[in-house]
Amino acid sequence: MTEIILKGHKVAKGKAQGEALVSKSPISFLGGVNSDTGIIVEQGHELEGMSVADKILIFPIGKGSTGGSYKIYELACNNKAPRAIINLRADPVVAVGAIMGSIPMMDKPEQDPFEIIKTGDFVEVDADQGIVRARSKSS
Amino acid sequence: MRFTKKEEEMLDGKYGAAVQKSIELLVAVGECYSAERFVEVGSAHLSCANPVSAGKGGTRFIKEMAEKGGKFAVPTTTNPASLDPWTWREMGFSERLYREQLSVSNAIAEMGGFVCNTCTPYLIGHVPRVRENISWSESSAVIYANSVLGSRTNREGAPSALAAGLTGRTPAYGYHLAENRHGKLKIIVNGTLLKGATDYATLGYFGGKIAQDRVPIFTGIPQSVSLHELKYLGAALATSGTVGLFHVVGVTPEAPTEGIASGHKKIGSSDTFEFTLKELKETEESISKIGPEEIDLVILGCPHASIEQIKEYIEVLSERRVKDKVEIWILVSNMIKKYAENIGYAKRIESTGAKLVSDTCPSPMPGGFFKSRGYRAVATDSPKMAYYASTTQDVPCHYGSLDKFVDVVTKRI
Repeated sequence: MTEIILKGHKVAKGKAQGEALVSKSPISFLGGVNSDTGIIVEQGHELEGMSVADKILIFPIGKGSTGGSYKIYELACNNKAPRAIINLRADPVVAVGAIMGSIPMMDKPEQDPFEIIKTGDFVEVDADQGIVRARSKSS
Repeated sequence: MRFTKKEEEMLDGKYGAAVQKSIELLVAVGECYSAERFVEVGSAHLSCANPVSAGKGGTRFIKEMAEKGGKFAVPTTTNPASLDPWTWREMGFSERLYREQLSVSNAIAEMGGFVCNTCTPYLIGHVPRVRENISWSESSAVIYANSVLGSRTNREGAPSALAAGLTGRTPAYGYHLAENRHGKLKIIVNGTLLKGATDYATLGYFGGKIAQDRVPIFTGIPQSVSLHELKYLGAALATSGTVGLFHVVGVTPEAPTEGIASGHKKIGSSDTFEFTLKELKETEESISKIGPEEIDLVILGCPHASIEQIKEYIEVLSERRVKDKVEIWILVSNMIKKYAENIGYAKRIESTGAKLVSDTCPSPMPGGFFKSRGYRAVATDSPKMAYYASTTQDVPCHYGSLDKFVDVVTKRI
């Protein structure tokens, strides 16, 4: 089993590990994700119907209204939040929500995570050290 | 980001868990915008200070900050509530909503906040100085503070304004930096067309669509423009666009001349626009979705009305009586309502059948409240109200100044 190490930048402190859920398209937490269930409800979204709960959620950037921060916090209060978030570039709405919900978050990875990490892979995030370890499910 | 000793101590938790969480949140925002440092803020203004806009998550976060012992480091005021806390029962709101609102307001008061429930804190004594850094949410208050008062704030979201209130800090980026405050496009206005706040709002709605998130410079607006006309201009700019700052040459503090307003950069012809009778008519028609005949509720005062606006409404409504099956609300802060009571304006409003409704607006009211009360069509003199009443309460809106549709909603006595 190959382990790949990815370096990046800490947005919200903490460590987490779990299964990756990867979206190549942006996610809006206000209106796009049900904060009671963690399920992505945006029509036509590539992850529509999947739950972000307890996942290492990897997506390029957040989108939509500033109300999204409170929705991420609500997910955390409902125990339906991702265990960690990795973005290509953090936007303030997601960053603020992750801090509020104490969800470890990183951005600016040195390599393209979409090339390396697939949905279902096992991923460890250490935001404090700025390190992501990924183990491919298939190899 | 670089931190001062005190900011390091905040991050280390020396000032408690609420301050620590707040400054962590502000660091994250700062890093998203590549800020190099914090600036100290003189005040904060909080949107979503109600259970509907904050939702379960926001309500819980506000209470958690209070439980963790958070105290505001700077004067901090609050945006409208989900109901009028003085007349909620007769207006048909539930006791449950009243209790929920009270619990949010109490948490903010416990942290030392000034619970004033208004989008116009600047009308009731919360008036930041020229060049003072502040952290305000509520787009219409942000644009007023930046443009009319010359203070400096970004368009904050509710959590970042709360965090700034608790720490007295905000990251130095955007409108806090002088170089980002220059105008990028010019709108040449035929000022003689503008007859009252609603026309200024129509101009703002036109300008916001063009400017999007850029800073517009207006020329041709007369020096006699009133503060509430500038308030309506700004609120509309922030409704159709994400404009956070505008300049009016010869009027607003950062625009003594066009050159100073633009930072002495030439604005090309592709960024120069005209506002004439044609644009005024077309924009007004585009905002108004229905005719005035169908109206059962008139909502005036968005942003919350000033005492001068109440006087103007009294003049239009004098010797008239609101028709049966129609209601007229004039939205105000409670302090302006008390002022109106003290100088006899409230009685004059009441004698026409119209109402001063304080501390609230349709946007933070529960969705579906209008329909449950039988309000099916609204008329308003503000494009911001037309937008939010139709999106949050799902009712169509007529748009125009009160004097133009007063015959439809009142009868002479």
